[in-house]
Amino acid sequence: MNMLTCFKRRLGEVGCYVYVSILAVFAAFPLLWLFLCSVKESGDLLANPTSMIPQKFTLANYYNVMVNLNLGINIKNSLMVSLATTLIATVISSLAAYGIVRFFPKLGNMMSKLLIMTYMFPAIVLVIPYAVVMGKLGLTNTRLGLVLVYLSFNVPYAVWLLVGFFKTVPIGIEEAARIDGAGRLQTFIRVVLPLVAPGLVSTAIYMFINAWNEFLYALILTSSSSITTLSIKLHTMQGADVLNWGDMMAACMVVVVPSVVFFSFIQKYIAGGMTEGAVK
Amino acid sequence: MKRKWIATTLACSMLATMLAGCGGEKGADTQAPASDAPAGTTEDGESAGTVETGELEGEITFWHSFTQGARMDAVQAAADSFMKLHPGVKINIETYSWGDFNTKWNAGITTGDLPDLSTAQNTGEVVEMINAGVVAPADNFLNTFGRDKFSEKALEDMTWDGNTYGIPYYSHAQVMWYRHDLLDAINAEVPETWQEFYDLAVQLTNDDTYGAAFSCSTNDLLGARYLNYYVTSGGGSLLNDDLTANLTSDLAIEGINFWVNVYKNCSPAETVNYTVLDHATLFYQGKTAFDFNSGFMISGVQSNTPEIAEFVDAAPLPKINADDPDYSAEATHIPLAIWENSEHPEICEAFVAYLLQEENYIPFLEAVPVGMLPAVAGISDTEAYKANETVQFYGNAVDVISKAIELGNAIGVDDHGASVQASYLTSQGIIESMFQDIITNGTDVETAAKTAEDQLNEIFDMMID
Amino acid sequence: MKYKEKKDYGRWLWVLPAIALVICLFVYPLGSQVFYSFTNKTLIKSTYGIKGLSNYTAILADPSFWLALWTSVKWTVLSLLFQMLIGFSAALALNSIKNKVARQVYRILLIIPWAFPTIAIAIIWKWLLNGIYGFIPTLMVQMGFAKQLPQFLSTPEMVMPTLVMVNVWFGFPLIMVNVLAALQTVSQDQYEAAQIDGARKWHMFWYITLPHIKNVIGLLVVLRTIWVFNSFDIIYMITGGGPANVSTTLPIYIYNLGWVNKFVGRSSAAAVILLIILLTICAAYFCVLNKWEKEADS
Repeated sequence: MNMLTCFKRRLGEVGCYVYVSILAVFAAFPLLWLFLCSVKESGDLLANPTSMIPQKFTLANYYNVMVNLNLGINIKNSLMVSLATTLIATVISSLAAYGIVRFFPKLGNMMSKLLIMTYMFPAIVLVIPYAVVMGKLGLTNTRLGLVLVYLSFNVPYAVWLLVGFFKTVPIGIEEAARIDGAGRLQTFIRVVLPLVAPGLVSTAIYMFINAWNEFLYALILTSSSSITTLSIKLHTMQGADVLNWGDMMAACMVVVVPSVVFFSFIQKYIAGGMTEGAVK
Repeated sequence: MKRKWIATTLACSMLATMLAGCGGEKGADTQAPASDAPAGTTEDGESAGTVETGELEGEITFWHSFTQGARMDAVQAAADSFMKLHPGVKINIETYSWGDFNTKWNAGITTGDLPDLSTAQNTGEVVEMINAGVVAPADNFLNTFGRDKFSEKALEDMTWDGNTYGIPYYSHAQVMWYRHDLLDAINAEVPETWQEFYDLAVQLTNDDTYGAAFSCSTNDLLGARYLNYYVTSGGGSLLNDDLTANLTSDLAIEGINFWVNVYKNCSPAETVNYTVLDHATLFYQGKTAFDFNSGFMISGVQSNTPEIAEFVDAAPLPKINADDPDYSAEATHIPLAIWENSEHPEICEAFVAYLLQEENYIPFLEAVPVGMLPAVAGISDTEAYKANETVQFYGNAVDVISKAIELGNAIGVDDHGASVQASYLTSQGIIESMFQDIITNGTDVETAAKTAEDQLNEIFDMMID
Repeated sequence: MKYKEKKDYGRWLWVLPAIALVICLFVYPLGSQVFYSFTNKTLIKSTYGIKGLSNYTAILADPSFWLALWTSVKWTVLSLLFQMLIGFSAALALNSIKNKVARQVYRILLIIPWAFPTIAIAIIWKWLLNGIYGFIPTLMVQMGFAKQLPQFLSTPEMVMPTLVMVNVWFGFPLIMVNVLAALQTVSQDQYEAAQIDGARKWHMFWYITLPHIKNVIGLLVVLRTIWVFNSFDIIYMITGGGPANVSTTLPIYIYNLGWVNKFVGRSSAAAVILLIILLTICAAYFCVLNKWEKEADS
């Protein structure tokens, strides 16, 4: 009996290994292929569609992408826009979320419901009006304009997520701090924020990813190659005079690999952050 | 402890980046993008500009669609030397693929983010710009530079209410491309009629190569272009005299059927979603035996599969009957347009004149030899132009294309003059969705043609006053 | 908590930035969008007039609108179903792997797709599935699964399943990570107690695990439904909605009306209809979720 259960458990675990291994191949193969194609020569790329090993290892595609196409500038733009969005949105939405939880016991519920409704608006719906607004504000073709747009899409959702996290902070702790003479803002920064730090981090990461990946608004609202983001640069490469798959593979590698590294470091924080707060 | 340290560092760096970012944004509109101008130009420009009066002074933005390689470099080099010559001038260059260019300027009408000077995909796009009221007449420039330096047909394509709105930059025309090694292998002559072409294309389709590709991505104009070949070869047009669409004439229906058969019997299946670039890449890589395109084919083949480049040549587009008169279905003069909102049209004009000067123009044309043929008279007779090896080697192709340029107009312009309708034939993807509908859903040709015709007419009604 | 709401005006300062942002950058654009939907505004002309409901009637009479709606439903339901199935089972499997290092390695491998920006997804999958040089079609022919290169992105019957597959590839890690996190909050005591009682694995899953993570899953379904239904870029960048509109979802339909045909008015009307559909779906979802929450509280 004991041996049988032991055997069954073993079998179960082996099954799990097999299953996740298959999934891992499915998930990771495109990245591997991306890498292999990015170091092949263009003739090799087209002549041997299934060969795993490059006939000749070359970094020419990377050189072309980084030096001739100046991808570095767009990486910088994407980083600036995403970081600014994340930082500002985190500040604004944590203030709002805390305010809703602490100071609007009655209205708060309705406020956060209204906010989550805005999450439903497809980005595509608002492109033209946004273009009008940005034109009037004189913010077209600026990174600031993009940051504002991304803020407006991220803040409502972030507030809604954070409300869940702030609800978990026991009021007693704050009252204790208050008795010690700390003001509202001080209490918020010193006492409350550290308690919801995991929630803040995961919300921030979520917003960063959104801003980093955004395509449509960057396409419509920015026109200078010195302003625009990585997504647009990659898109432009697809429409170049001569379709160069090797270059595109190298450019994708440059974009994807840092994200994969970043993701593997932060996955602890993302885990659960997106829903945990909201269901608490 | 450690975690705290990391968090603080992260926060600081985030803040720093952000501040740096926002600081930079304010200047973004007026300052030189670092990538575009050689270092130091801005400073030189500002200091010199204030001293010399009466000199050209100001900043212009130039959008062009030569997104890569030698053409882009040639334009940049000309801009750089122009700025050196006129220290008060600053030229910001931005490049977009043709497809994005249309989206960009459409959006720009709403956002106000428009260039001073731009290229356009074809003369039809210039007519769209005229209809939207965003482009300025170029008559001033043309009269100074000399109208007679440009081909009459090129200017005709962009003339509207007596004003001409674009300056031809280079010319090309649609011809038939073939691989004579493949034709020789089956002892075939270069086809002269559509039927001969079709039979050979079917014969040359095997496991490795396809006879010819037919592509109709709705993001591009290939469906309209190919249908226009056929209809023009029979003396017809895709527009009626009252400028309504005509896809249901016997000739048009015959043409649609012809291309659907080409798709079914000699084309890779995937081309149903291919754009001009995807499509041409097939020929560049030796996957198709025939193709229809301009002289860009040569540099494409040279860079993709140099080993077949010597076997590539061009011939006039096939006819319906061998004894039909010579014709040309589509000649394109890529225009430069000066925009209505420009504060410095004088700089734009001076710069265009500079681009068209022999010492700047020939290096530009040589970036894609045979692909870009001169739009300015006299250039093709210069020694510098004739010295180009590619132009010499493909002499026959150059002659064929030059003749097609002389005879041809933009799609839909032929007898009716320039019209917005003509440009909408190619920019809406409607003829392409008609082909897709027939190919993928098996819709009856007459029905599909009628639907597409109605859709086009509806758009004409809504978009044109 | 004894907090007096009425007299405290300072509290508005906390929510003011967020409210201002939402009003300036949401309410106004949305309002103007609704307004445009009653006009014949175009993208490139400055003049336009009010046309009443004609845009709405034109759209409701347009068969391609209904086709796009149906495609959207297929796209959302299928993507979500497989994302949930794979994400959920992957989380369970990972959770059963006892070796810490192995678990960590697998986790990293499995979240790789999530790190791809959409444009990179489009480029790599178009390349993998390319009907002439693609790895997957060529491999299928070499291994004898197919006689001719399969055309994943142009054979009408294969386009949507292929796109859904790409979307599942991209979306399952997110579900997995969230479910995994929720699974780890189930206290081990409960399992141990159940084990002592002699409960079977299946029973433990059904009576302990599932109720515990029900809310997380419910919420994930809601959020992902909205996200997938609204997603525009994956399809736009891979097939552009073609061939013959077989992959045209509502967002692509709206984009084409506005940016290709340049009918801003009509595209706005379609957008408003899309919004109404989404609001209805979400209202229903949230009703269910609220009920669950109340059950959990009581």
